[in-house]
Amino acid sequence: MTENAAWLNEQIDHLAQQQAKFTDRAFWLALKDLIAEQDRRADQLGGEVDGRTWSPDQW
Amino acid sequence: MKTLVLVAHPHLADSSSQQFLKESLPDSGVVWEWLDGQQVLDVDQEQTQLRQADRVIFQFPLYWFAAPASLKQWEDTVLTRKFVYGDHRYPLAGKELGVVVTTGMPGKAFQRGGAEGLTLDAALAPLAAVAQRAKMTWLPTFAIHQFGYLTETEKLQLVVRYQRYLTQSQPDSLTTRQAWFAERLPGMIDRLPVDQQAAGKLIASVFDQKSADLDQLTDTLALIKEQSDD
Repeated sequence: MTENAAWLNEQIDHLAQQQAKFTDRAFWLALKDLIAEQDRRADQLGGEVDGRTWSPDQW
Repeated sequence: MKTLVLVAHPHLADSSSQQFLKESLPDSGVVWEWLDGQQVLDVDQEQTQLRQADRVIFQFPLYWFAAPASLKQWEDTVLTRKFVYGDHRYPLAGKELGVVVTTGMPGKAFQRGGAEGLTLDAALAPLAAVAQRAKMTWLPTFAIHQFGYLTETEKLQLVVRYQRYLTQSQPDSLTTRQAWFAERLPGMIDRLPVDQQAAGKLIASVFDQKSADLDQLTDTLALIKEQSDD
């Protein structure tokens, strides 16, 4: 996990902890999970872009 | 999206899972009805609710590999042949039908060789056939196994998974999940106490930026793939 991601997770955890309603807490924590999923997908897509761009048979 | 949740449970007040789901309902867009609580089913009213809904959810505990009797009674009373297909109007066509089912056995029990030896898809086949007859779209089933054994974290996750099952566009994908959260974020930020709103807005802006970045990456990749196909 990058420093930025860790920092963002802390922000979300902190906000979630402050919510009195269980369902509000659930929303922010689920958003944290979704952002982690976005990061994974961005890494994977970025990797695929790099891989396809550097394909020697396309040169 | 308008969602109609029909709950079949003979002892609703004693059910911790059903009470939990009721507390987890989204704030808007959902009509919730407890079938066992109806003294007499008002067929016109029930059919009107069905006509008005975009998504219909049957929610119940699995009793002997089927829904409790109140759901069958509702089907037999409300889903008249004439209403569903008899006059060839198909008023439910294009609507979605989903099932939220709770079970006392773990998910792994519901497969061949498992303790129950039957998949949930197989057990729910009669309901799926009703959907097909009505020209409705059958949604993947939302199963909650052994609710009492869930950890606090799992229960928190269940709240939002359940809300998304009720109100998120199908099919469930990263794109539709992002859209669901994006739609709700402004309202969630408004609900925050004033001193927390800056944090909420900051988190939302990071989320929006990541969504935009992903869109761009997806477009770039599509372009590269298109060119390599030439």
